[in-house]
Amino acid sequence: MNNNKPKKLTANEASMIVESSVIKRRKKDARLKTYGRIAIGLAVSFLIFLFVSIFSKGIPGFFQYYVTLDVYLDRDRLDPKGDLSPESLYNGDARSIVLESLYKVINPKGRKEKKAAKKIISTNADVRISKMVLDDPNILGKTIPITFAVDDDIDSFLRGYIKRETPSSERRINDTVIKFVDKLSAENKISYKFSDYILTGSASRSPEIAGIKGAFIGSMLTLAVCFIIAFPLGVATAVYLEEFAPKNRITEIIEVNINNLAAVPSVVFGILGLAIFIGVFGMPRSIPLLGGMVLALMTLPTIIISSRAAIRAVPPSIKDAAYGIGASKLQTIFHHVLPLAMPGMLTGTIIGMAQALGETAPLLMIGMVAFIVDIPGGVTDPGTVLPVQIFMWADFAERMFIQKTSSAIIVLLVFLIFMNAAAVILRKKLERRW
Amino acid sequence: MVINSNINNVKTKTIGEIFSKDPKIICRHVDVFYGDKQAIKDVSIDISSREIISFIGPSGCGKSTFLRCLNRMNDTIDTCKVKGTILLDKDDIYDEKIDVVPLRAKIGMVFQKPNPFPKSIYENVAYGPRIHGLSSSKEELDFIVENSLKDSGLWQEVKDRLNSPGTGLSGGQQQRLCIARAIAVSPEIILMDEPCSALDPIATAKIEELINQLSKNYSIVIVTHSMQQAARISQRTAYFHLGELIEVGETKKIFTRPKDKQTEAYISGRIG
Repeated sequence: MNNNKPKKLTANEASMIVESSVIKRRKKDARLKTYGRIAIGLAVSFLIFLFVSIFSKGIPGFFQYYVTLDVYLDRDRLDPKGDLSPESLYNGDARSIVLESLYKVINPKGRKEKKAAKKIISTNADVRISKMVLDDPNILGKTIPITFAVDDDIDSFLRGYIKRETPSSERRINDTVIKFVDKLSAENKISYKFSDYILTGSASRSPEIAGIKGAFIGSMLTLAVCFIIAFPLGVATAVYLEEFAPKNRITEIIEVNINNLAAVPSVVFGILGLAIFIGVFGMPRSIPLLGGMVLALMTLPTIIISSRAAIRAVPPSIKDAAYGIGASKLQTIFHHVLPLAMPGMLTGTIIGMAQALGETAPLLMIGMVAFIVDIPGGVTDPGTVLPVQIFMWADFAERMFIQKTSSAIIVLLVFLIFMNAAAVILRKKLERRW
Repeated sequence: MVINSNINNVKTKTIGEIFSKDPKIICRHVDVFYGDKQAIKDVSIDISSREIISFIGPSGCGKSTFLRCLNRMNDTIDTCKVKGTILLDKDDIYDEKIDVVPLRAKIGMVFQKPNPFPKSIYENVAYGPRIHGLSSSKEELDFIVENSLKDSGLWQEVKDRLNSPGTGLSGGQQQRLCIARAIAVSPEIILMDEPCSALDPIATAKIEELINQLSKNYSIVIVTHSMQQAARISQRTAYFHLGELIEVGETKKIFTRPKDKQTEAYISGRIG
């Protein structure tokens, strides 16, 4: 074997060489398999870690502490004008009525203790009473038990985030307040319930009454605008490029650029929206219409690319059949190509929309980060969206916002899962038609 | 369209009888190019009313390309250019004023691979009449569908399941469904591009019988790789080689006494 001259191997020698290399190859295969398993294991464990952390923080965010008080709803003080109008109720003295009911339970002595007692109940208590009266004026003049959210510091204390052992000067709540809270607990006035505010409230500086409804509706409106603009435009572009456009230099350049646009960082689309929609056309900031238009710019490339792929996947024999029987180009496209390509196009669109739903950066550029308390009633009302709301809450100092942030993330994730499920179901349903 | 009187005065290298007494389609000096490549070179031939003519020849000889010129299916290929004259009932089908939609309604086509629409059997057949507005009521449409399916010999097999998908039929049934779809718009000519190449012998026999039946009402141009099939069903046969029409004539004569050496070599199995 030492002579360098190549010589013909006998069948026996060849099989021995193959045999020995087989063992090596098998080892390599096994090693690769192990690496793959380790990678999957790591990925899954990260995912589990993420979900456990979000859910363990977020689920408590859907609940909060309440205090129940027997309130005497004094007609004259609540409704000074006596006409039950919102203005009259707004001018009424609901706040002190609530505080008086509270004082009855905890008996504060002197101004200092009364001042401390004021901190226990959320500032939203008077709004709640006004709302109840507006809903049912018959309750005026009666004494009924009403449940109020406690202030966020009290909530954090009850959850144990603010510790009793901490020296009073370093706590956000002083010893007097703690004494009152203990008294309320002893009288069974404190309860822990599913939050009224997280799903139905809108943005607020007071974390105990902050909710995601405004942001959720803002997200829906923004996505609706985005879909209405991006889907028809995207499908029309894809149909033109696939079925009508001549194959020349210009269409080639357009194609390359569409593919590049899909990879452009989303914040660039935000700057584009800022420069063109706000700068040139003078559209107002912070409105879902503008947000939807910017997100439509961002999702268009995704929709065009997936729609083109779906159209290209339609078998040419079907097109031949349609042409052969005398269908015009338009009939062929609308009767045969589009119905067959629709599942693929919808899947691409929903994936694009899901991307848009989670997008923050471009919306920051066009001012959707504004602090807006009102729930938007239309696409031209100022609003914000879920991911931006999450971004803002994550930035706030109050302890309670940490849970609220996680809760909002859960809502966003559920929303996304619903969208993806819709994509799958839609796809299955449309495909079953054949 | 003015027909010059010397339409039958053609200089051609083709051997045999390219003319017909009762021509439905007249092709003169047809050249087809795919980009720079010439796929059909100077083909002149007549196709008679109510005859079956088969195009034979080795793969890549241009017979399918030529067939697709007859109903302008080559229009869908961007690089394809057709030169020369093709007259259908004395109208130039490549005239700018001619719309392909009525043309293709007149000249039906059946493809190599059965390609029913992914819709119900009924919808497959009803599609053509519907887009061309051939029926004004549901009854008329039902009548057309039933007759087309009867003419294609499929009615007995599918009459109870007209609403089940056309793609659920067997290969031979699918091909007959495609024929039913083609004849539903009452064409004058049917082009068939190797209609049996994807079918088993039994299905092939059924299709051949059907083609025979159909030739009473339609001109049929069939491209085939099977010389036996050409011999069995067609009255005339045209032999293509490398884009040229080498020889054309009565099927019997072509298969028994071919005049051209290449034709003889092909039908005796030496080339192709």
